[in-house]
Amino acid sequence: MNLSVFLSHQWLNFWRSRNANKSLVIQIILGFFYLLIFIEIAALGIALPFILKEKMAATNPISIYTSYLIYYFLIGLLARFQFQELPSLSIQPYLTQNIQRKYMLRFLNTRSLIHFINFLPIFAFIPFTLVVVLPAYGAMAAICFCVALFALVLNNHFLNMYIKRKTVNNAWFFFAVLVFIAALKGLDYLKLLSFEKASSSLFLSILHYPLLCLIPVAFALFIFTVNNRYLKSHLYIEELVTEKKRKGGKSFAFLDRLGDIGEMIALDLKLIFRNKRPKSLVILSAVLLLYGFMFYPKYIATNNDAMLFFFALMIIGIFIANYGQFLFSWQSSHFDGMMTYNTNMHQYIKAKFSLFLTVCTLQFLIASFYGLLSWRIVPIQLAAYLYSVGVNSFVTIYVSTYNYKYIDLRKSASMNFQGIGAMQWLQSLAITFGPALLFFLLNRFAGFWYAIIVVSLPGIIGLVFHEAIINWLVKQFNFRKHKILEGFRER
Amino acid sequence: MIQITNLRKTYQGVDAVKIDHLELYPGEVIGLVGNNGAGKTTFFRLLLDLIRRNEGEILSKGNSITETEGWKSYTAAYIDEGFLIDYLTPEEFFYFVGKLNQLSKADVDDFIATYHVFFDGAIINKGKYIRDFSKGNQFKIGIIAALLGRPELLILDEPFANLDPSSQLRLVDMIKSMATDYKMCIIVSSHDINHVSEVSSRILLMEKGSIIKDIAGGDAAYSEMVDYFKIR
Repeated sequence: MNLSVFLSHQWLNFWRSRNANKSLVIQIILGFFYLLIFIEIAALGIALPFILKEKMAATNPISIYTSYLIYYFLIGLLARFQFQELPSLSIQPYLTQNIQRKYMLRFLNTRSLIHFINFLPIFAFIPFTLVVVLPAYGAMAAICFCVALFALVLNNHFLNMYIKRKTVNNAWFFFAVLVFIAALKGLDYLKLLSFEKASSSLFLSILHYPLLCLIPVAFALFIFTVNNRYLKSHLYIEELVTEKKRKGGKSFAFLDRLGDIGEMIALDLKLIFRNKRPKSLVILSAVLLLYGFMFYPKYIATNNDAMLFFFALMIIGIFIANYGQFLFSWQSSHFDGMMTYNTNMHQYIKAKFSLFLTVCTLQFLIASFYGLLSWRIVPIQLAAYLYSVGVNSFVTIYVSTYNYKYIDLRKSASMNFQGIGAMQWLQSLAITFGPALLFFLLNRFAGFWYAIIVVSLPGIIGLVFHEAIINWLVKQFNFRKHKILEGFRER
Repeated sequence: MIQITNLRKTYQGVDAVKIDHLELYPGEVIGLVGNNGAGKTTFFRLLLDLIRRNEGEILSKGNSITETEGWKSYTAAYIDEGFLIDYLTPEEFFYFVGKLNQLSKADVDDFIATYHVFFDGAIINKGKYIRDFSKGNQFKIGIIAALLGRPELLILDEPFANLDPSSQLRLVDMIKSMATDYKMCIIVSSHDINHVSEVSSRILLMEKGSIIKDIAGGDAAYSEMVDYFKIR
């Protein structure tokens, strides 16, 4: 049993998995999407040395590049916490076969290396080394420079694997590293301590004394060995994957007062916080709240209210878009149960709407602090909020009644296109670009306040007549109920 | 309780379920037997309006189960893990189902306590999500959750298959006493003709979607089933 057999099984697993059987159109769109990302990253990687050369003609591009490497690796580690999975489960069927442990270890290690994040450095490091480092320092230095950088990538990779295997609670670690990076950057910014300079001089010393590249290589080997040894002594599925913490207990007592609908909302909240995929989507929604700092100032300065409205829609409506795209699919594994428990559909749909309303209101209240940047943000966000809860929430529920795809809650969200159909793509376009375009036109030809009022109006109407709309949605749901159930049973 | 007329469900032109007429009454324990592919689970799903029938009508207490939702208040079922919310702990799941049936947490606790022998100390207060329990224990959770609302119609798909011997016998007793004490109508499918003939007051034998035998339970039914299954 050699490595190639394992890997060919993985290859088959990828292509024969349920969600690989999508329609051709989706495959093409996804393929195009991947290609686009790939080309963008490659182009950026190749253009980077030239950009640095051109823009930073006065200063040395190498010192600029190396000064940011420390952040590259730290943020890389952070990204790995979030996006990289342990491939442990894939060895389950092999454990009882006549295969030596060392082959399984080799497979686990190789399998874990095949990941998007590990291919990024090829574009981030190699073009730069070829264009900038090679002419300036010669072949020996360039090779060692590359070796050192890739050793650090491997270092990050296996460190992340090890930490993930060792610790139960990754979230704590994630935030620790996040705070650490923020602290470094803060000290740099306040010019108290320059880590950028330290980073630069560290990597520059490798260029001057190429053999220093052996130090990161040694680090990588060390962490690889530690990781391997740990794996070897814990090659039991239960030790590799299960969490040892006591579960449950966290309840949402304040929702009790809302009766059955409160109970349903609490159920949705538990679904979110106890399952990987919805959890990472919701964390994303929370992070997106910070986007205002990135985009608002620019468009406030240029008085571009339409763009402000567009980003307000994103910031406030992201939960509805993210969670709502799989509204029923999240419960696909127990949808048979949901349809026979002692509830009625009106209550069920209303609970979904109430969840949207609650979370969206929360997002709106938090985002209101952006009003400190400019008073115009306040009416713009209010309009975006009203549109989100009064229109987008219902549109999302409606579109969900066309989603017949099963979702495995325990798989992580990144690059996971299970359950995504053409409707989801159309929907995400319709609920952000549509109103943004409307706002743009009104703002240009009628004026700011007209735009605000006209965009808010359908939202207000939706909120006022929510009972009637929910009744209509229940009818729509019932039309397709059996189709949804059938789709969810297909795994 | 249940009236079925001209029920028909086809997959790719082949009849999966085809029942011309069938009535189920309160207080009956109905054992549904038949080899794999006979249509037992499909029939259960039709009874719960989980799949669309091609023809016919199913009335529950005189109301169509597709047009109305009232049957949900007195019908409970456990077919497979699809009836469990697997990211909840068993307690949370019981409270959830209890709440939907207007039971307070204390009511649910009292109810669960009466089944502590059935649970055998393996379910309650374990600090585990349902998804982390073994299949047998998940089955126990599903069955008890189905009983929570004291349903008038209870549907169990192969309840004996995943249970340990003691629990199987306990379940037989539970089903019998529930049918007599509460006048419940209970439908149980099983491959275990021993248990089925013991527990059922009426036995339906399915073959290729149709009910080919509708007989009273007991020893005579047992030997009739032995005869039927032997030929295959």
